[in-house]
Amino acid sequence: MISRRSFLAGATAAGAALGLGACASSPASGPNVVSYWGLGAADKDKDDQVIAAFKKTDAGKNAEIYVDQVPSSGVADMSQIITAVRGGSAPDLWMMDRFNAVQNASIGLLESIDDLIEKYEDVSPEEFKSQWIQFSIDELSYEGKLYGLPTTTDARGLLYNEDVLKDAGVDLDLFDWKNHVITWDELSDACEKIVKIDKRGNYERFGFAPWLSEGWPYTWGFGLDAQAYDNAASTVTLDSPQWESVYQLYADWAEKYPYASVDAFFATYQPPNAPPSQTAMFSGHLGIDTTGPWQISANEKYAPKLPLKFTYLPVAREGDSTYTWSGGGSLVVPTGANMTKTLWEFMKFYAGLEGQSIVVPQFGNLPTNLKAITQKKYNPKAELFRTMLPNSTCRPPLPVGSAMWDALTSTKSSVALGSSTPGQAVKTNQARIGPKMELFEGFKMPDTYGKPSPVPGS
Amino acid sequence: MSVTDTVGPPAGPASAVSAGVQTAAPPTRRSRGLNAGQRRKLRTGLLFISPWIIGVLVFIIYPVVYSIALSFTRYSGMEAPTWVGIQNYVTAFTDPLVGKAASNTLFYAIIAVPLGLIISLVLAIAMNQNVREVAWYRTIFYAPSLIPAFAMSFIFIVFLNPQFGVFNRVLNLFGGANVNLLGDPTGVKIAIILMAQLGAGNAALIFLAGLRNIPKTIYEAARVDGASPLRQFFSITFPLLSPVLLFNLITGISGSLQVFTEAFIVTNGTGDPDNGALFYMMYLYKNAFGFAELGYASALAVILFLVGLALALLVYWLSRRFVNYDVEAG
Repeated sequence: MISRRSFLAGATAAGAALGLGACASSPASGPNVVSYWGLGAADKDKDDQVIAAFKKTDAGKNAEIYVDQVPSSGVADMSQIITAVRGGSAPDLWMMDRFNAVQNASIGLLESIDDLIEKYEDVSPEEFKSQWIQFSIDELSYEGKLYGLPTTTDARGLLYNEDVLKDAGVDLDLFDWKNHVITWDELSDACEKIVKIDKRGNYERFGFAPWLSEGWPYTWGFGLDAQAYDNAASTVTLDSPQWESVYQLYADWAEKYPYASVDAFFATYQPPNAPPSQTAMFSGHLGIDTTGPWQISANEKYAPKLPLKFTYLPVAREGDSTYTWSGGGSLVVPTGANMTKTLWEFMKFYAGLEGQSIVVPQFGNLPTNLKAITQKKYNPKAELFRTMLPNSTCRPPLPVGSAMWDALTSTKSSVALGSSTPGQAVKTNQARIGPKMELFEGFKMPDTYGKPSPVPGS
Repeated sequence: MSVTDTVGPPAGPASAVSAGVQTAAPPTRRSRGLNAGQRRKLRTGLLFISPWIIGVLVFIIYPVVYSIALSFTRYSGMEAPTWVGIQNYVTAFTDPLVGKAASNTLFYAIIAVPLGLIISLVLAIAMNQNVREVAWYRTIFYAPSLIPAFAMSFIFIVFLNPQFGVFNRVLNLFGGANVNLLGDPTGVKIAIILMAQLGAGNAALIFLAGLRNIPKTIYEAARVDGASPLRQFFSITFPLLSPVLLFNLITGISGSLQVFTEAFIVTNGTGDPDNGALFYMMYLYKNAFGFAELGYASALAVILFLVGLALALLVYWLSRRFVNYDVEAG
């Protein structure tokens, strides 16, 4: 019979073996080792292609790149990375939504890459940064320091199904972006023609609603000159008349097309968590939607025969300037990373001409690297969005970015549902975000924020 | 007939206290009075329960104390916490979304807890029937409780789908237009309340144990006295199940204050539409991991803990009027 001493010794040894086994999967750090949290399981092949190309270069031939595709429970959910950094198991490199850069930098989650530029580059930081489109650099800058390199970008526009519009008797010339920018009134008239209602009162075919898809408050805010932050006064300005007009747009549209009915229509033809092939647009039930160039790859894959085209976002009056905004990804270095030359070379390769040339066309969106833009390393169908880039901008790079986004989007549904007036909505937003931003007294966004981002040859 | 007529007065707290007074030895004598064998047994006993003790200390006591300390700081999870005094608590009481989240949670608790108790009690009575296939019934009634909350949420999304869902099919039979219950601020709460009822099997099992603990002789005596089944339920079953009811009530309130998973999945973590499904825990989670405000989230957690404790104490105090410990007292 086993003695108590032997039993305890055995149990301790088994526990220690399990513990050591659990630690054994972590790659050993070294000058050529890079641990990387990638694009996500669905896009693993794109990471693999870039890594394979990098290993063929002189800088990458000895590199050992260990990729983890860590799932996230939400765009702004930082629980995994915070836990990894605090637990000492953070990656050296992380593919992150660029929008979160300033917030993450402000809490000390990211390393500035200024030292890497200074150490390994022969050019000045300003000259180095000029390889990428300005708004993407602005979005990665916090208190004068750069916190990552931009990878992909996008822009917002309208997607329409020509078959649906033709069937409804809508003049297609209104949507031809080369000759005309559609106005809100023209869009409203087109929607009236498109809508079909069945005998029970359900929408069978629907035109457009500004709160759907990419119809975020920011989307229309950029067209109505609604500024979220006054850089000169360092104050939040979410209660301005311009913001109220953004919410008035939702209210006016919801008066015509009740939120509950539109919602029932969408839950029918495009329920939450539906596969990407199941959309109201692909099934011919939706005429117009707000989206971006990433939609191109889905269109090609799931509805190659449908005549789906893009145009500019609607403007108030004919002749008004077009507007849009851009998001995208970035490569950042979490705090405590092993900052080696190999890491830097891989980062530059991925965010540079070579890496973006591999990844961007497959995503259907646009490059941030100016050479990749001028050499047209993107899907030709994204040309409209490419023309938008010089006048595009990013969302305000603020340390309370996630909370601001959350406030703006939650009041969007309140106004569309009619439980809040536009005036109440903007007051709520200001009350939520103003005090949070007061903690960053005197904060300034980059001087270049909101100004045009020149693209050579445009 | 009433229960107290047949089984006599309960052994209340007073009798227990008096018994303790008669037998208690001076505390100093008790701790020093262990002989070598008893001390060895105490060590062995402590060793055996040490995983639990360590678990409670490391995973419950330490986080609770740490969370209370963090609630007085501004803390992102990365840099050192900065002391802000009661600022987080002041913010919590002026934050419009805390009020919204609290009212949503209250709405959920007021409906989900009583409804859950009724459904689980009915299930327990059904599981307690003296029929040959009772084991099958118990399995069938309990089975939904085994489905993970996230899988249940997806089932409900399909169930409520305006085009394919059973709910709208039934509505269409009466000529109604399709509705998306999950797209309405009140509807989404009701959907989540209904979803929670599919987990009633757990509480039903506890009720079932309570039901089987009631001596059959009491029912036999009641039948001899001519009591109807309804009278038997309200005069025997219900009073003697009251300790179990109290337990399920307190755990139900505690669970309802922490409702999270279903709402998170159904709304993709947004709490929309119109923050209709923004429950307190979800707002707390958003602040902690979405906005990196762990200090503020800790203050919200402390407030929730205090509210939960106050409600539990209130229920416990009120329970003196309706809980009958006759069965436990034997």
